[in-house]
Amino acid sequence: MRPPAPPGPVPRPGRRRLARALPQAALLAVLATGCVSPAWDDHDYGLKAGATAQAAASSVELVRLAVRDHDRLTTPYLKTVLTEASGDLGSVNDQFGGVQPPSDAADRLRTQVTDLTSQAEEEVQGLLIEVRRDGLRDPRGADRRLGELAGRLREIEEAHR
Amino acid sequence: MKKLFAVTLGILTAFGGFVDIGDLVANALVGARFGMSLAWVVIVGVIGICLFAEMSGRIAAASQRPVFDLVRERLGPRAGLVNLGASFFINVLTLAAEIGGASLALELATGVNYLLWVPGVALVAWLVMWRVKFETMERIFGLAGLALVVFAVGLWLLGPDWGRLAHQVTHPPSDEGVPTYWYYAIALLGGAMTPYEVFFFSSGGVEERWTRKDLVTSRANVFVGFPLGGFLSLAIAGCAATVFLPVHAQVDTLGQMVLPVGLGLGQVGLALVIFGIFAATFGATLETALSSGYTLSQYFGWQWGKYVRPRQASRFHAVVLVVTIVAAALVLTTVDPIKVTEYSLVFSAAALPLTYLPVLMISNDPDYMGDQVNGRFSNALGTVYMVLLVVVAVAAIPLMLATKAGQ
Repeated sequence: MRPPAPPGPVPRPGRRRLARALPQAALLAVLATGCVSPAWDDHDYGLKAGATAQAAASSVELVRLAVRDHDRLTTPYLKTVLTEASGDLGSVNDQFGGVQPPSDAADRLRTQVTDLTSQAEEEVQGLLIEVRRDGLRDPRGADRRLGELAGRLREIEEAHR
Repeated sequence: MKKLFAVTLGILTAFGGFVDIGDLVANALVGARFGMSLAWVVIVGVIGICLFAEMSGRIAAASQRPVFDLVRERLGPRAGLVNLGASFFINVLTLAAEIGGASLALELATGVNYLLWVPGVALVAWLVMWRVKFETMERIFGLAGLALVVFAVGLWLLGPDWGRLAHQVTHPPSDEGVPTYWYYAIALLGGAMTPYEVFFFSSGGVEERWTRKDLVTSRANVFVGFPLGGFLSLAIAGCAATVFLPVHAQVDTLGQMVLPVGLGLGQVGLALVIFGIFAATFGATLETALSSGYTLSQYFGWQWGKYVRPRQASRFHAVVLVVTIVAAALVLTTVDPIKVTEYSLVFSAAALPLTYLPVLMISNDPDYMGDQVNGRFSNALGTVYMVLLVVVAVAAIPLMLATKAGQ
């Protein structure tokens, strides 16, 4: 068996300050990763619009995959996927809506993006209501509409990379 | 014949128990965004966990003491405390993620919001830890986790373009930034080499009273069971790469992650994968909660383990109960369990050297190991991994900040 470990060095005040600051710095780091920053100019606003369109298109595509093969999935599962997508689209709308557009051109882009994301949210909410009642009425039509929405959102994403 | 049965059962348990919420989330996220271009990280992670889990199993068999018991003795109380603090924090974070994962699986099965399941999951987990024998507990949930094999079957039935998947291995998507690629590489490594696995494995060895005779079983579990678990991780990434990558859909919920299995196998597959996720995350809930009790009790020298009556290990059981309540309370704040998982993976990666350096040092020490010390190959590979893990630990937090946690 080993002898007991020798006593460690006496901590210096600087080291103690560092030890106290580390958890605060870690917390700040975690919070900083989740912050939404304001748009500084048109370019910055365009980038935020592109990211919003990308996130919305991703949610729309996920719903489209589930709706297209809805007969292979269980109702509670479909309900959960649609509820999550509806929540995601609402959150994307709220976050982008909270960013101040810096110019008239940015205003037009804002209208274009929020129109599409709101349409997507309404479409998914409509599908959710159908699933909660008797199941999807027109899955093919929903697939087509979601495909068109995803395509238009991708165009905005491509234009504002 | 009896020995062969024990070895096979051990392998299957290790196979089924390998994947937890971290592996599931990391592989699905990465598959959807990067295809199979980070498959090499899974392989590096599986080799690493095999290397260090074998060492910790050997430590338990040779010294009849678990790794953390020796960390304080070997490194001294101060270094041991740093190690304990980091491991304990990550354990609690991982435990919250696992409870959240099990509750989300129940939501997928029933349609009832996961927050309503959280107290029930925590209570049943505590009852299992309190009442069920260690070996029974480990076997039941390890074997039930085998249901996740449906990811591999689902991938097969989806009929992917295997050539394209193989092409992705060496060609990351051009629209993803380099820092984001490395951020997810680190998260994936954190998922494959989660610290609690080693503490649980070595403490479990002591719970099951391993001796040198059990080293064959221990090595079979590690060298066969874990790589099979790694194969499952690749199947999860493959499913996501096949279904989500072509339509540029990013996944951020457990429900979305199991969609490929539903598309490939239908409702039966969906039921099996949800069952498998529940078993895997519930099993990992038990492992992380027990690991918290193990590390704290072993550091302070308290009686620990399920092989003694709860009354004799009251402080150990109190720690297990308290961390289960704290983790459940964290999930009940409505923090997204998938986000908790993502952060726990990165913090795990940042703390990897703290976990694995003592394992390498102790398994090299003839005072503890006798004739079971590391050979040259284990030492060389262990040293290479330590360098890698230090680089990963240094880069983890800056990359998390630079990429806004992979956004």
